[in-house]
Amino acid sequence: MGALDYDQGPQVAELRTQLRRLIADHLPPDYLGAFTDDPADLEVAQSFSRLLADHGLLCAAWPEEFGGRDASPWEQTAVREEMWAHHEPRGAQYMGVNWVGPAIMRHGSAEQQRTHLPPIARGEVIWCQGFSEPDAGSDLASLQTAARRDGDGWRISGQKTWTSYATMAQWCFLLARTSRGERKQQGITVFIVPMDAPGIEVRPIPCMLGPHHLNEVFLDDVRVTEADVLGTVDEGWKVVQEVLAFERVGIARYARVERLLQWAPAALGDGWDRLPDELRSRWTRMLVHARRARLLAYRVIATQQTGQVRPGDTAAYRIAVTRLDQESAEVLMDIAAEIAPSVDPTAAGEADRFRRAVEDHHRYSVSATMASGSIEMQRILLARALLAAA
Amino acid sequence: MNTDLSPEAVEFGRTARRALEAAGGDELALSAHEGDGSAAVKVLGDLGAWDLDPRGSADELEAAAALCRSAGWWAVPHPVAERAARPHDVDADALVVVAGGRPTGALAHAVAGLALRWVAVDLDGRRSLGTPRPDQAPAGKPGVAVPLDLAPLDDDGAGDVALGLVLPCWTLLGMLDRAVELTAHYVRERHQFGQPLSSFQGVQFQLTDAEVERVGVEELAKYALWSVATGRPDALSDALALRLAAVEAAEAVFRVTHQLHGAIGFCDETALSWLSRASQPLRRLPLGPSATRAALTDRLGRRGLSGLFS
Repeated sequence: MGALDYDQGPQVAELRTQLRRLIADHLPPDYLGAFTDDPADLEVAQSFSRLLADHGLLCAAWPEEFGGRDASPWEQTAVREEMWAHHEPRGAQYMGVNWVGPAIMRHGSAEQQRTHLPPIARGEVIWCQGFSEPDAGSDLASLQTAARRDGDGWRISGQKTWTSYATMAQWCFLLARTSRGERKQQGITVFIVPMDAPGIEVRPIPCMLGPHHLNEVFLDDVRVTEADVLGTVDEGWKVVQEVLAFERVGIARYARVERLLQWAPAALGDGWDRLPDELRSRWTRMLVHARRARLLAYRVIATQQTGQVRPGDTAAYRIAVTRLDQESAEVLMDIAAEIAPSVDPTAAGEADRFRRAVEDHHRYSVSATMASGSIEMQRILLARALLAAA
Repeated sequence: MNTDLSPEAVEFGRTARRALEAAGGDELALSAHEGDGSAAVKVLGDLGAWDLDPRGSADELEAAAALCRSAGWWAVPHPVAERAARPHDVDADALVVVAGGRPTGALAHAVAGLALRWVAVDLDGRRSLGTPRPDQAPAGKPGVAVPLDLAPLDDDGAGDVALGLVLPCWTLLGMLDRAVELTAHYVRERHQFGQPLSSFQGVQFQLTDAEVERVGVEELAKYALWSVATGRPDALSDALALRLAAVEAAEAVFRVTHQLHGAIGFCDETALSWLSRASQPLRRLPLGPSATRAALTDRLGRRGLSGLFS
């Protein structure tokens, strides 16, 4: 027996079967995610998250002491793949599960853990991420939102932007400047802020991605207590670095691409054989690139399993998978162009469902190279790793 | 799940790389220009490379892959991968995959392998005995392939094809490793406008694009190796998928690494120029990028590539 082994074993296979059964039984066949123009889709995501929680699958990755079941990294990967492939039916919940919860486990007080972890584990609460600001995007450490001491608490003022789910979130994982050090990364603190606190105003930003994705959040003298600080005052950047690392491998974009590419021949029926050879050849190339991105993700996960972090590998994966998202979207749109548009926007035929899924993928893919750290930042990280080793 | 070669295989590859370095390193590629690469053949023989039995055990297959990668690193002018892939059931020294239906028969990456007994197999498993024709191409020169005369043998080579495609991709991977490494080193050393080239983001980003291609091939190469080792029914598709990614990556990597070296990268005094030349037969034979893509598309039909949703 050689050492290489890409068989994820019966436990992972069983988990995939279970997840696919739940998806088939509880999601509408043309479900395109929680954030469409139909508010019913949001409710589907909320109830599906509770269903996953009931089956012990929402926070399977979490340690048992926090309500999880210590799922293996490969089981966690399977959950991420199945969820993203099926248009993330956890809606906004993935954020609480993937990184807010783990950040609170690592840095939160016992009280914060008691308050916040059980509702996340039950799929009952929505979080938003107060990171980006009008003048602090990729250069996140330049953030200006400030918290100043006020008796036994803090008062926070400033503006956040691009804040997904802010209109519906109960809590915000907020970064604010509490002092100025020699480096801009110093003096940043993480606050856990209730979104119904006086002084918070949320303004939705209408956009092509659908509702709830982009919002502005204005904070005007928002009062929080010392107990709302996560971790140590002025040392929030360390927490942020961890959070970003979680997020970088968090989304299994390749899984949706694989699903759509594999679906294409069946969706087109006889039309598949009429496609130009050149287009089928591009489809083949994308299938190879999707596998490549998946294997690069597995490379990162396997390394993490050994307790190591290789930032270059994570960046290489992110570059490959976000480019895959966009290039596959172009090929899939080309394929979907062979499907005659239906006058009925809810037409339920397989070809129509495929076309709608492809259009949705195409719209989202535009943001792939920006969300969770732009591709330029990933290239900088990879270059740094590469040149340091030379 | 395990996505790494065995430590023994990695160590074998490392030892081979060091031994090849001691035997001349970059001079080995140059010797092909003038001789027959016999220094490399001897060194690898001393390491037991020719006794490896990749068809006999997955451990030895992984060791053979690591060996091919090291041979690629130094652009060793000898068909190391082809020798490792030799068939069990025919008395032959080396196996080469050829594209069927070519009017002139076949071409082999047979640099300095002229004295070997060759078996050629096409994608449908038809095998031939091959005789190199050095009179039709200058033998022993990197970048030049020697034609083979083919004499039909049998139709029993279905099990040979995937292995015959995968191992040369490991050689090509070694070349990509080296090209990226040489270039990362060069852009740190070379100064222009009073600063190292590596400080320019335009340079950094080109290099990262090459690296993403290289590391992607590495992962697909391991996957295809596992597929061959475990006898998966999709092994040939997996091998073609690897080949497609590898030849496309080679285009990107050598385009970038040449660009970042500037004119010095063309000169015989730089290792990149020899690597670049030595990579050419591997990239176009048996099928170039377009023909590889067409062959894989034909095989996939409506079924697609095995994966999460096949």
